Amino acid sequence: MNTSDHKADATDWRKAYGFALLIFAVEIVFLYLFTLRFS
Amino acid sequence: MNRLDYFVLIATILAIPLYGLWRTRGSASLRQYLKGDASIQWATIGLSVLATQAGPITFLSMPGQAYESGIGFIQNYFGQPLALIVVCAVFVPIYQRLKVYTAYQYLGQRFDRKTQLLGAFLFLVQRGIAGGITIYAPAIVLSALLGWRLNLTIWLAGGLVIIYTVVGGTKIVSITQRYQMIVIMVGMAIAFAIAVYRLSPDLSFQSTLSVAGKMGKLEAVNFSADPHKRYTFWSGLIGGFFLALSYFGADQSQVQRYLAGGSLKESRLGLLFNAAVKVPMQFFILLLGVIVFIFYQFEKPPAYFNQPAYERAAESGYAPQLAALQTQSDDVFIQKRAAIRDVASASLDQRDVATVKLHELEAEARDLRDQTKAVLVRAGVDPKSKESDYVFITFILQQMPHGIVGLLIAVILCATMSATAATLNALGTTTAVDFYRPLIRPDASDHHYVVAAKALTAAWGFFAIAVASFASLVENLIEAGNILGSVFYGSILGLFLAAFFIRRVRGSAVFFAGLIAQALVFILFATTNIGYLWYNFIGCAAVLILAPVLQQTTFRNTEAPAGV
Repeated sequence: MNTSDHKADATDWRKAYGFALLIFAVEIVFLYLFTLRFS
Repeated sequence: MNRLDYFVLIATILAIPLYGLWRTRGSASLRQYLKGDASIQWATIGLSVLATQAGPITFLSMPGQAYESGIGFIQNYFGQPLALIVVCAVFVPIYQRLKVYTAYQYLGQRFDRKTQLLGAFLFLVQRGIAGGITIYAPAIVLSALLGWRLNLTIWLAGGLVIIYTVVGGTKIVSITQRYQMIVIMVGMAIAFAIAVYRLSPDLSFQSTLSVAGKMGKLEAVNFSADPHKRYTFWSGLIGGFFLALSYFGADQSQVQRYLAGGSLKESRLGLLFNAAVKVPMQFFILLLGVIVFIFYQFEKPPAYFNQPAYERAAESGYAPQLAALQTQSDDVFIQKRAAIRDVASASLDQRDVATVKLHELEAEARDLRDQTKAVLVRAGVDPKSKESDYVFITFILQQMPHGIVGLLIAVILCATMSATAATLNALGTTTAVDFYRPLIRPDASDHHYVVAAKALTAAWGFFAIAVASFASLVENLIEAGNILGSVFYGSILGLFLAAFFIRRVRGSAVFFAGLIAQALVFILFATTNIGYLWYNFIGCAAVLILAPVLQQTTFRNTEAPAGV
């Protein structure tokens, strides 16, 4: 892999981590709303 | 259990290892035996990592935990997705680049041999004992309720695992874990659906959840900063982060799962899969416990869920006291059932009054259970085990249709086998790679090391069974497993974080910092009463503070710069 490939790869992984964080945030929001609704 | 249940149970727990043995037939090189020839796809890695962590306690105890205290335990997993992202970004690329078999080989390359051996030794002690507890915890519950002999149950789960893990190595562990996890997920989904179906027709599912919420079972997120509260968003996010970072980054039983990936991409995707599914999976397991709780508000529960212990107490002269408590419990049960209907049907302005009444009755029911437990303690039966560990399995045995009972017992045994297989695989690998090869036989053939790894895996298997056979000496097994991990994980994580992030620190400084940190945790464990999750943070912080201090003082100018 050359340098530009490495950079593109790193950017893709940063996006993947961001997406995983987004899913986690959605899960927390869901659990918080669930708590508000049923507690 | 009837014949159909036994057929489903035996077919399920035998079919998966047999299929695994067929898939991994033929001889393997050391690399193939220890890393599964690096051909394993991300989905298998993801399920394998999930199965290694889950273990039997998740499926036996978690629903009981929610039955007892609600779903707040979910917050303990909030640090995990963040830790998995850090492992993907920092740990995995280094392990893959250096082509190590064990995480501790990295410590050897970055620091020196003695630091590698310290990390490996701390792992072996902790995981070796934990392996025995993984086998013992479900065996004690299943043998009590199904009337199986304890040693037979231990050997059923442990013996089978030893055979296939020794023969197939890492690849068979990953393949079997994939199918075991699928069986577990299907089994738990069926259990959830049947539990919902069996709920009282008087209440809709939404009313059921409302009632459970009114009874304090559905507080999933609590932002309190009170350190005395056991489960909060902050303790889960911060304490859980350190625990998960150590577990996924530095525990060989997990590292070996994702190093089996064909590439960095496969390993990372498998871990990110876990980051996404772990919290929802635990949520549904805990919610299942709440559904079981509501079920037993309409269907009379046993006087005590550990029924064999209850019967032994009744037979040893305590029958009159237990019968009196049972009569009172029956009365409270009827009143409570009526109170729940009142809460569900009350208008908004009357609901608070009805809820107060329900809380009073719930407290009364809890008090009667505590009194029953006290009678059992006086009778000398079951003084230490948690009743909640028997809740879900009792529900399975008494309320599920035949066939499904066998499947769900298979779920518990599959979880035992998958977690134990990963443990034995990691223990055998670490002993062979970090101790046997460098210290005993440095220049033997590839085949010799495969044989050695197999023999060491088998030896650890027998050690785990021996621990399981003598585990009754430990008071509370499930808690013991968690405490054991927390006592060792902090120092191990500290070694790795020092390696990654403190460039100037070298072998001797980090080695002695690790020893001092571990001694500090032992002293705190023996002399104080702080929550065990804090040991992860304390051990890690002690290494990270002490290592640079020792480097700048005692070991200044005594060693060459670090290599990796």
